[in-house]
Amino acid sequence: MMRTIEVFLVIIIITAAFIISSFFAVLPQPRQVSPLNLRRLALTTLQTLDVDHDLSGTAFKSPNDLAWGNLQIALSACLPPNIVYNLTIYEVLSGGTQLYTPIHSISNAESLGVSSDASSYLVASSNVTFSVTPEKIGQRGGGGTLYILNCSDANGWWITGYTAQSLAADLYNLLSPYFKATIMVQNTTQLAKILNGTSIQGETLRNATVINTFGEAVPIPAGYYTTIGYRSSDRSYANYTYTLGLKVNQYNWTWVSIVGYPFYYVTNTVTFKDIQNTWGIYGMRIMGTDGNGGGPSGLNAFLQGLDRKSYSYNPNGITGNPGLVYLTSEALYYCNYYGIYPSPYQTSTRALPDSILTTYNLPESSVTYIFNKKNSWIPGAVYRHIAAGDNKITGSLFALGLTRTPDIRLTALGLLCAFKPRLYRSEYTASGTSRLVVLQLGQVGGV
Amino acid sequence: MVFLGAILLFIGLFNQTIQTAILYQRHRSIATKCSDLLDNMLLNPGVPLYWGKSNCTPTGFGLQDPEFTQYRLSPFSLMRLISSSGEPVYYLKTGQYYSNVTVGFGNFLLVPFTEAINYSVATHLLGINGTYGFRLTITPIVTVSISKLQSNPLTLSVNVKGAGFPLSNAIVSYCFINVKPTGGEQNFPAFTTDYGANSTNAEGSAILSFPTVDETKESYVLIAYAHHSGLIGTGYYEHILHKENYVVPFISNFGNESGEVLLAHSWDVHGGDNPAAITYNATFVLLTEDFTLREMPLGGGKVGLLNYGNDPHTYEKVSIPTYNPGILVVTYRKSANPEDSGVVLMPWGISSMAFPVTLGDNPFGKEWVATDIRQVLVNNIAYQAKLALWSLQGYQVIG
Repeated sequence: MMRTIEVFLVIIIITAAFIISSFFAVLPQPRQVSPLNLRRLALTTLQTLDVDHDLSGTAFKSPNDLAWGNLQIALSACLPPNIVYNLTIYEVLSGGTQLYTPIHSISNAESLGVSSDASSYLVASSNVTFSVTPEKIGQRGGGGTLYILNCSDANGWWITGYTAQSLAADLYNLLSPYFKATIMVQNTTQLAKILNGTSIQGETLRNATVINTFGEAVPIPAGYYTTIGYRSSDRSYANYTYTLGLKVNQYNWTWVSIVGYPFYYVTNTVTFKDIQNTWGIYGMRIMGTDGNGGGPSGLNAFLQGLDRKSYSYNPNGITGNPGLVYLTSEALYYCNYYGIYPSPYQTSTRALPDSILTTYNLPESSVTYIFNKKNSWIPGAVYRHIAAGDNKITGSLFALGLTRTPDIRLTALGLLCAFKPRLYRSEYTASGTSRLVVLQLGQVGGV
Repeated sequence: MVFLGAILLFIGLFNQTIQTAILYQRHRSIATKCSDLLDNMLLNPGVPLYWGKSNCTPTGFGLQDPEFTQYRLSPFSLMRLISSSGEPVYYLKTGQYYSNVTVGFGNFLLVPFTEAINYSVATHLLGINGTYGFRLTITPIVTVSISKLQSNPLTLSVNVKGAGFPLSNAIVSYCFINVKPTGGEQNFPAFTTDYGANSTNAEGSAILSFPTVDETKESYVLIAYAHHSGLIGTGYYEHILHKENYVVPFISNFGNESGEVLLAHSWDVHGGDNPAAITYNATFVLLTEDFTLREMPLGGGKVGLLNYGNDPHTYEKVSIPTYNPGILVVTYRKSANPEDSGVVLMPWGISSMAFPVTLGDNPFGKEWVATDIRQVLVNNIAYQAKLALWSLQGYQVIG
């Protein structure tokens, strides 16, 4: 008898437990089990509608404007038929406790159903100009002077179609906002002055950047530098570029070669007024062997000077021809950051070998690559010299071994990649300049 | 004994509820995976970054345009996906199968299997091989359909609509290409272009008239771009006098700087009646940022003769020297009869002709399929990306 009662009790208890737990164990609706990601859909819809800034334009128009009707049509056209929406524009306020106040709203349904999700998107008025203030190179760590060689008494080579002066003007416009001081070096006399350690306009000489706009030719001042630059033993001006290397090392300059084989020719329209570079350009001669060859000796001597090695005449070419080369991912990133967009692929015919990194103490860890290495060739990079046993930079070379004609945007991009000055943008949430668009989506139909 | 009986009864009662709850959890995890996987495909450009513009097989799958952020897809990465919708085309002369996206007669996109990424490779690269199946569908949001209202004078209606919704007040910019069968150098075919713009009425239609065109003697094609509040779509309409012998463009190579297209005789691909030699003239028209077309000269092989069978002129090659999206326009005529002319188009970058893309397996018959969608931009053309995902690890709904 007791057993029977126990069994009944157990059955009652289990049945009651099942009923009670079933009552509480509510399974989700199918729609909740496999939901559309409405938040992402809302965000991507807003981005699509703003592809040509149409959404930004409409958000600042009066509620009676026809653009709102067009926006409603576009919203209905791009959302699936079972999606309902509510789009609300908020004014962004500054000060006070209320940050956003609704301005206008459009919707295609009275309610958004049992579940909905939303995304927000900040749009800016087309009437507002947002200023961008670049950080000045040299604000952190000293230096910050940009010298652009604009020498009127020199000629350029491999800058076909341009003059060094026109390139200098473009570089000034591109780069001067990023430097504390930008000095146009107007003639070789001024070049001699800075080589002698004297500033031109009271600027800081150390840690400066010097851009040689003359392509494969390098201006040489008359007088002292011409005298010591020429060595009768090797009938070459390579000792001048050796001296340049020493100066770059001494002042911790960054020397920039914008195209081709660096230091292949030496130029001064007065000193070499009756001498031509074998291609008919007067005022210029090949670096070595009295103008009959030895062009590569200029770069070899510069690197010897940069590394403070003793001078040794070396006319052997060291560059290679890797052909098509691509900007590095870092350079591509900075294209977007600084808004400079040269073609991401270029042709390199004067790339430097990676063997110079070890030969001249240019450690790979301190190199900023502008173009990807191709085999052992480096088409474009900023090489920083760090003497053996030392840890501080003593001079740099930025060589773009591309074929002519030069794209000086690559020069600008390379320097900005190397120095990475920050851009300070204005406040986007300033009152009256920005509005917040909130798109809320819901699903209708089904369960 | 009583206790064991009670336990069995308890398990029996709750078995159904527990199984259903587990299935719900599994289904929810598929939905979450679907959303994550879709973002994974759309928000990364893959490895290497520019795999869409080269012949290489990527080591990481992603469709984002490497030059942009957010949901902007590369028109060239999409072009390298093997389409699941069209029947593959076999071309005897190269001995290769080609992925086929053909949208009506004369609009071809044929990519060799050897240069394209198939579903299996994609699942391996995404790390879901053997665990999940998917189908990715990328379709244009704005449909631009063009129909002929009358022949004399030639009047065409451009109809613009979204998801079943006509787009009124949309601006329609168009390019009308008129084939001149003997208008090119050495009597090769050529074409003239006519540009213009109009806007759609309340029904989403814009009427375009070309009174000087005699369609009994001239083949033509109209390419129209519609813009409306940030939504941009494209459509095309062809009138072709001669369809028995035509040019079939096959992509043969995605180089680093340029692409190579092989122009074949249609008889060698699809067969047909009355085969005959044809002469052709290939031109590349570049899509500019304001959606007008600009002609870009092509190099060797841009004009020539194509013959069927074992003729030495069985196919020709032409290079497209850019990776800017555009359209390869090939005008042709029957060599023996200049009046039998036509034109075929091939998009360079899927967006220039708003071609759809479908990659993956068929979800039909799968036990539970989760879907998610995003709005994306492909070279500023608005598309909708839809991913259907299901589990391959096999479980059944019981009861």
